Amino acid sequence: MNRVFRSHIIDITGIILIAILVYFISFSSGLALSFDIPPSLLNLNVIFISILIEALPFVLIGVLIAGFIQIFITEDHIKRWIPKNRTAAVIMSCVAGALFPACECGIVPIIRRLMSKGVPVYAAIGFMLTGPLINPIVIASTYMAFGNDFEMAGLRMGLGFLIAIIVAFSVSIIFKSGQLKESIHLSHSSENNRSFLDRIWSMLTHSIDEFFDMAKYLIIGALLASIVQVYMPAKTFLQSADNPVVSLLIMMGFAYVLSLCSEADAFIGASFSSIFPKSSILGFLIFGPMIDFKNTIMMLSVFRMKFVLGVLALTASVVFFTLLLLQNFI
Amino acid sequence: MKIHFQQALRALILLAFCGLIFQLHYTGDITKYINPKYVRLSQSASILFLFLFFIQITRIWTSKREEEGHEHHHGENCRHHDDHSCSHHHDHGDTPFTGKKLLSYSIILFPLLTGFFLPAKTLDASIAEKKGGLAILGNQKQEVNTSAGSDEKADEPDIDLEDYSLEEELEEVEELEHDLSVNEEVQEISNEEFEQLKKDLYSAPAIKMDDKVFSLYYEEISKDIDKFIGREIEFQGFIYKEEGLASNQLVISRFLITHCVADASMIGFLSEMEEAPELYDNMWVKVRGVIQKEAYNGTELPLIKIKEWQEIEEPFIPYLYPLTIKIL
Repeated sequence: MNRVFRSHIIDITGIILIAILVYFISFSSGLALSFDIPPSLLNLNVIFISILIEALPFVLIGVLIAGFIQIFITEDHIKRWIPKNRTAAVIMSCVAGALFPACECGIVPIIRRLMSKGVPVYAAIGFMLTGPLINPIVIASTYMAFGNDFEMAGLRMGLGFLIAIIVAFSVSIIFKSGQLKESIHLSHSSENNRSFLDRIWSMLTHSIDEFFDMAKYLIIGALLASIVQVYMPAKTFLQSADNPVVSLLIMMGFAYVLSLCSEADAFIGASFSSIFPKSSILGFLIFGPMIDFKNTIMMLSVFRMKFVLGVLALTASVVFFTLLLLQNFI
Repeated sequence: MKIHFQQALRALILLAFCGLIFQLHYTGDITKYINPKYVRLSQSASILFLFLFFIQITRIWTSKREEEGHEHHHGENCRHHDDHSCSHHHDHGDTPFTGKKLLSYSIILFPLLTGFFLPAKTLDASIAEKKGGLAILGNQKQEVNTSAGSDEKADEPDIDLEDYSLEEELEEVEELEHDLSVNEEVQEISNEEFEQLKKDLYSAPAIKMDDKVFSLYYEEISKDIDKFIGREIEFQGFIYKEEGLASNQLVISRFLITHCVADASMIGFLSEMEEAPELYDNMWVKVRGVIQKEAYNGTELPLIKIKEWQEIEEPFIPYLYPLTIKIL
């Protein structure tokens, strides 16, 4: 009897919730135009919501994969897959990231879950850096944005991969393990002996919890990025573009604060190519997908603040010096 | 039976995300946020949210028996750890409601509220200015130089004429080769259509820049302004005035959206007309004029001498999207 009663209650709750929402929506359409909001705030809102709408499908895929990892992959699997040798592990993680098509918002929940399963921190970083940067969509869009020239796309992938390996390797030397936030500890899945359907179910509920953990960071990141877009005048920076060092710094700064999706940033990068030399454009294209504003905030949900800042500084300086060294050759 | 209000709140939030995306699609406002090419992707996100909502509502009510089962389960996991949260590195929504949680739920509710209650606005001239304005318009020109020569060459403003025409020829050959695989524009078109569009650009008595071909033609014209000098052109866009422009000059521009409006890049033509002082930012106009060339901050830009103009309503879809060409 309890079971029947419960399913009815669930139905009713669902209907009530839907009713609340419908009420809200119909209420909103009447209210929307009734008061004055400065246009810059509306611009801000449009950009903010559009970043979210763009990111949500990828975040959902990310949390579903994270849920899958949580339930179906055990620490033993990870132990078997990741090479004991540090160098090999770094290279493997970068290659895995390159093969794995992800974007920078979707990848954070995945690495978070991987790390709670015992993936070493440097491997997770390698995976995080190459995942959004090297994938077919990014290659295609870069190719198109730069006048169907494969050079930029090739340089972006090649240098990006090199830089990711250097960063991941430095992380393995500089940082000890245990950079996870206090609340995240190794989990011991005692769920092996449950039925397949049960496990699918708990994978989904885990995904939901993961989504709620992640969403707030995504939202703060998107909000900050849109504030920058609306209030930061790119124009004033463009005038000081003569010096290659300064222009590289400016372009990397842009990439960081604009927080564009790696699949869409190529056209923006290309639109700066009249003003900045190629190495600076590459700085924009490589640094942006690896770490940006939105992504930094999301990383705070996984790692300690100190570690996040460390990785940020490390990545920025490796990108900066690599491109500075190579700028005469590209 | 026990009710979990937090789980209910979570279910409501999931449903609200689904509803927000659905509403944007339903009203067509979605085109004010993202490129229609990605509409399917965001629709599937909406469906996924709905699906997760149905999963989530089962967690709102728990019976006594399950409650015990759950607790037992926790106990098993916790043996290895001292701290209370143990293996539960994330919040299951069962723990008591604290100030910290209130904050995180408010953060998640925030975009839902602004999304539902604030109208979708079209990006305007103030964003064009923040994006770098006229300074970034000269780009395609320079790009041609960089791909043909070395970097240093592009930096030199005075390339002698001989050299230049040679480069140009080289570029043409390259262009022909690329023609088959090239270019980006609104929605998908086939290769033949694309070829036809390009042919039209060169042969038509007046260049008509409708939304579909705008970015393609724009790029072609900026690439090689000389070829188009004296040609008649017709297009529409919003007015953007920049400091430093002469009083009879303004920019008539559009935004090109690759993915979402956050990655909008501005394209448009510097234009000249007598009535320019009467026109104001964000006003939409349809114009007809003749293409000329103008040097601006060291880059060459097409300059349109406007002959006729007319104020128009902002189009329902104000943005441009890159064309994708089907390559078999």
